[in-house]
Amino acid sequence: MNQFFLGAGIGISFLVLLVLYRVVFGPGVYNRIAAISAIGTKSLIILLIMGFIFHRVDMFVDISMVYALLNFIGCVAVAKYLEMES
Amino acid sequence: MIRQSDDIIIGTVARMLVPFIQLFALYVIMHGHYSPGGGFQGGVILGASLVLLLITHGLPETKKLLSEKGVAILSSLGLLIYSGIGLLCLILLGNYLDYSQLSKILQVAPNEARSLGILGIETGVGLTVMAVMFSIFIDISTGGVLPEDEEE
Repeated sequence: MNQFFLGAGIGISFLVLLVLYRVVFGPGVYNRIAAISAIGTKSLIILLIMGFIFHRVDMFVDISMVYALLNFIGCVAVAKYLEMES
Repeated sequence: MIRQSDDIIIGTVARMLVPFIQLFALYVIMHGHYSPGGGFQGGVILGASLVLLLITHGLPETKKLLSEKGVAILSSLGLLIYSGIGLLCLILLGNYLDYSQLSKILQVAPNEARSLGILGIETGVGLTVMAVMFSIFIDISTGGVLPEDEEE
């Protein structure tokens, strides 16, 4: 079972690299915001998979909840900043 | 200055999410010695809930909840709780922040007094961090000029 979680984690890490291309070269700022939000969601799942590998899911669930929360608030804050800019 | 958002989705989601964020922050503060977290982290989450409210509902709406005076009072109160518990341990002939001395006034066993003392310290730290985070965000978003300053 550990092998499965390890493979899933490596696969999702590879997906993060794909999304990172949109962050660096993405045309316009809105593509970048969406890509950063997607990376945040993927790293949340990677955190949970790490919890399964270390057999301490109860600890990692707390961390991933805070991560999701701050990801959401950061996304809203950047969107608000762009709205005030225009 | 940040005004209220016109978007109904953002406003509704934020209004429904803020109580749960604050509940989770209280959980992080209370379970600081069993799970990751503690006073500072819980305070940051509490501050983040207020920042979310400020972003989505604007400064005038948020000020009804927690005014500038309230921020000053809360941040000083947290520091007072922290240093008060520390000094209380000094008065009870222990070291600074030596919680086991609190068992003399709490009428409990020393190890239980240590647990309660850490909880008190973390409550103080959480209050201060929340108030200071919120105050820093207000100051940055308004450029240091508050609306009521202009009226006077």
